Amino acid sequence: MNEAEFKEIWESDKPVYDAWGHYILKTVTEALEKRGKDLDVFLKVPAKCRLKDDKSLIDKAFYRDGKKYSDPYNEIEDKVGIRFIVLLIDDIHEIYKIIEDHEDWDFTTCKHFEEDRKRDPLLFTYQSVHCILRPNKDIVYEGINIHRSTPCEVQIRTLLQHAHAELTHDAIYKSKRAVQPKVHRTVAKSMALIETTDDFFRDVTNLLNYGPLEEHKILEKLNGIYSRNTEIESHTQKASIIIWDEFEQFIDEHLVDNIQAMLSEYAFLSETIKKRYNDSVLYQQSTVFFVYWMLKNRKRRLLEDWPLPRGILELLAGDLGINISDV
Amino acid sequence: MLLPNLSIDRIIIHQVYQRDQDGTKLPPLQSHEYTIFAHDAMQTFKTRIVNALGNESKAVQMEIVNQEPDYIPSIVDTIVDQNNDSFAISSHDIAKKLTDAQHSRSIPGGIIVVFDGMYGISQKKYLGIIKAEVHSGYEKEVNPATKEISLKFVEELLLTPGTRLYKTAGFFEKNGYNVPISGLNDKWIVMVSDYQISKAEGKAAAKYFYSDFLGCGYPQTSARTTKQFYESAKSFIASLEISSTQKIHLFNALTTYLKVETSSTISASEFAERYFNIDTQDLFTSHIEESGLPSTAFTKDIEHIESKLKLRKVQFQSKIKIIAPSDTFEELVTIQTMEGDPDESGTPVEWTNVIIKDRIIDQE
Repeated sequence: MNEAEFKEIWESDKPVYDAWGHYILKTVTEALEKRGKDLDVFLKVPAKCRLKDDKSLIDKAFYRDGKKYSDPYNEIEDKVGIRFIVLLIDDIHEIYKIIEDHEDWDFTTCKHFEEDRKRDPLLFTYQSVHCILRPNKDIVYEGINIHRSTPCEVQIRTLLQHAHAELTHDAIYKSKRAVQPKVHRTVAKSMALIETTDDFFRDVTNLLNYGPLEEHKILEKLNGIYSRNTEIESHTQKASIIIWDEFEQFIDEHLVDNIQAMLSEYAFLSETIKKRYNDSVLYQQSTVFFVYWMLKNRKRRLLEDWPLPRGILELLAGDLGINISDV
Repeated sequence: MLLPNLSIDRIIIHQVYQRDQDGTKLPPLQSHEYTIFAHDAMQTFKTRIVNALGNESKAVQMEIVNQEPDYIPSIVDTIVDQNNDSFAISSHDIAKKLTDAQHSRSIPGGIIVVFDGMYGISQKKYLGIIKAEVHSGYEKEVNPATKEISLKFVEELLLTPGTRLYKTAGFFEKNGYNVPISGLNDKWIVMVSDYQISKAEGKAAAKYFYSDFLGCGYPQTSARTTKQFYESAKSFIASLEISSTQKIHLFNALTTYLKVETSSTISASEFAERYFNIDTQDLFTSHIEESGLPSTAFTKDIEHIESKLKLRKVQFQSKIKIIAPSDTFEELVTIQTMEGDPDESGTPVEWTNVIIKDRIIDQE
């Protein structure tokens, strides 16, 4: 295939690659939203699907030093690409998992920084995750047929990895000139620093966000119970977080079962919650079950450490028929 | 009393008066209209009922004594099934009964609130009666211009949270009873909340309400319930993970609470709040409830445990026993655990240091 033929095919294929890229972008972002992510917050740079520009594609196919393709059109797999930039290493894993688990495509991972680290533990260089996704059968998206051979490159990296890549990509990785050893050394030093910082970020986030509530998946389970029983979605707000913070010592692996047992005895509570939905925001959050449970079982501790106005407890105690005026 | 899912259906209020200077009774003033509370006012009213009669309240269970048609228990048995017109009239009969029962001039007037509704998981009927005394207080007033506050005197206030100012009775239909019933006690649980009942020597002052008016009396099972409470509290204290010395204090406290205290009622929450820390209080009240004992107060009768309460006994593994009159135990006997000599494995064993502030007068 000569350059002119290459250009011609690429020109006619562009809409197909564009459709495939958009299909992946839509699928992954929807999956993230389904997991409760606010994309504006979770993705540190808006994710876009981008076709490789003609000039750099031709350049890569025919003029790049060191790498010769026998079938450049099919061997170049990043003709369309999507980049997800997130804050934390764990966020990368989350997107990677979505891609890994999805049934619409076959994928190969051509670069994974964690594999690179294992292979070259002494090397500090460009870090990212690159996967190539191809449809596992021909599909039609927005009226365009996408053949199963169509590749798309998805890159996933942290904000700091991205900063490193931005600095070095054109200057070093793609540089045609010899680079001074001092520059290499400095860039490697900054990568080592970035890797360390990413680890610290993860530690901080874990310390902030991981406790017994997360360990036992309490909120997820209670939200499920809430929506099953009331047919309303629970909205966890600041009030709930304050309550869980205060009474963390009561969270254990039996808590949800104990709450379930209370609810099977006091089945009317679901109706009560619906009836009182507008009386207090606490009725709108699944944490209300925990407060009911505390009133029944740990009333005095609850009243002693209650971090919010007491009026709401009087409502809830009234629902259960429990006197709290003497405590 | 467990009162989950309590709803209030009808509320009607009549006025009752103090006897006049000659001791002549004045008939109650009848209301013909039902009281309709706004949402918040209704919520507060419900809270008052729960606080008076609900779980961990000071209410005590009573037994129906007067089953005759003209007494309150029979009126209650009929009124809950009546339509609104008849209910209004019958509720006035209840007010008349209260006026009759208030035979002393020292008993103040006030209002009588008669209300009914449903309660509990299986939604049974109940009828409630509140006698509320009028008292005075202040209402906050805000000057709209300056936003400064001043207090306006209110001569007649009713149903404030202070439970000393009202007496409450609840007749709760039992969950499951055989028809025909052999007596009203088969069908109804009566709970009475009256601060005078639990006071030492308070029974006489409270009698006009629970007995003359409601036709009820103290349950005959009090002695059995008191014994169950004693046993259950003992097993709870024994199971606590605290030092033997601390347990000795708690056993002393239990004996004192049952034997020496002049109060005529027992309440798990009262005992807990006096002698345990907060978390243990919660565990204790749950333990008592799980033993099938009342979640409210109940009348004290130590008949079955009198001999047990007389003596305090401490027993050691080696069959050594200390037996002492409970009256003087706390004062004359000091028991403390101490570290003894190490056992074969080198771990120090627990010994007990006993001081008896007396001399030996006899031994065998």
